[in-house]
Amino acid sequence: MVEQQKKSKNLVKDVSFRVAKATVKAILVYLIYFLLVPMLAPLFELIPGFMESIEVFVIVYIVLMILGDLTAKTVFQYFFSTARALFFMAYLMLSMGDGVFNTSYENFSLTVNLTLFYTVAVLLSLLGFARTILQAINFMHEKAEAESGLQL
Amino acid sequence: MNVPIRALGIATSVFWVLLMAFMVLAAFSVKDLNFDFGEPQFSPAPDGQLTLSLPLYIDNRGYYSLKEFHLSTVFSDAEGAEISRANTYVPVIPHGEKTTIIHNVTLSIVSLLENGEQYLFNDNNLNVSVTAGLNFAELLPVEISTNFTFPWGAPFYNFALGTPAYGRFSSTQGAVTVPMSFENHAFFDVAGNIRIELYDGAGSLLDETQTLVDVPQGSAYDGSVAFNVPLESASLSTARSGHFDVYFDTRVFEYGPLVIPYG
Repeated sequence: MVEQQKKSKNLVKDVSFRVAKATVKAILVYLIYFLLVPMLAPLFELIPGFMESIEVFVIVYIVLMILGDLTAKTVFQYFFSTARALFFMAYLMLSMGDGVFNTSYENFSLTVNLTLFYTVAVLLSLLGFARTILQAINFMHEKAEAESGLQL
Repeated sequence: MNVPIRALGIATSVFWVLLMAFMVLAAFSVKDLNFDFGEPQFSPAPDGQLTLSLPLYIDNRGYYSLKEFHLSTVFSDAEGAEISRANTYVPVIPHGEKTTIIHNVTLSIVSLLENGEQYLFNDNNLNVSVTAGLNFAELLPVEISTNFTFPWGAPFYNFALGTPAYGRFSSTQGAVTVPMSFENHAFFDVAGNIRIELYDGAGSLLDETQTLVDVPQGSAYDGSVAFNVPLESASLSTARSGHFDVYFDTRVFEYGPLVIPYG
């Protein structure tokens, strides 16, 4: 009975720690976004709809991050991490297309070739994706090892 | 397996931070770039070429050098026929430095007149297409392009020869005085010679005369030219109508004949 009470106490402690961690991380990410946006606002104004798409990206990214933190120490954490990495790659590919930005303002037409930035960003997000897969494999491996150890 | 995963995580984060720092610094550098155009200078050459020199001042106070700066201008007429094309290339604009670039555009009056004499006598608009590009921060190629119209002022705007006035010059010759006027709307002074041939109704050359003109840009010319015609009854009757052939010979271009009927 005492052990069960102790266990449930630990669970509450663990869950509240995860919630706190998720909240702090979400606030930090939002703060970075909040501070960076005014600095890059003149740049965003040149590309119509870019600001809205960034907002959607930040919301989805934070939600996936919170879900990942809340489901920490379970296999779902890696599902959400993988989903986040995939979402990041998909967003990059959809928003940047071939990496060449074209925008027009009055009589002027501006073309920025971001192919190199885009390539590096996709490669880095691929690394992130590979890391989450490795983490998931490692988690399953450790879990299987622990279970087989218990059985012995 | 934990160590390689952690190492992979740290490496990815470091590269992300570097990439983001580069992009943020690049964005800030754009803010610290200053482009300014100076007053364009026009200089006519005797071979029928007009050189337009456009100074471009670039103050690169950003964090990165600008490489492969290129500026290209294409002048074309209303029908889209290319009149002039000019390119300027600067390999490097170092950061923290002010650079002055002179973009020279050569307009050939001769080729302009080949497209039509309206450029000589009527104000017009030339289409200008400008493309400027550079390799920003040595990694991000940026290009900006625009189109606008360039007002072309005619050097002999509203050129007209008035009604001939007949008078007696001597017992055998009559004097024909013809008023001549035009406005110089061009961005260069018109200095040269105008030669006019007077033909009667039968197409015979009665006389020719020439006059020197020196009309600064934006000024009007109002003068007259005089001809001596024989006082024969036949020629007097045919000289009441006919045409003038006008030849223009200036420092910048030659043109003619411009046929103007009279009578």
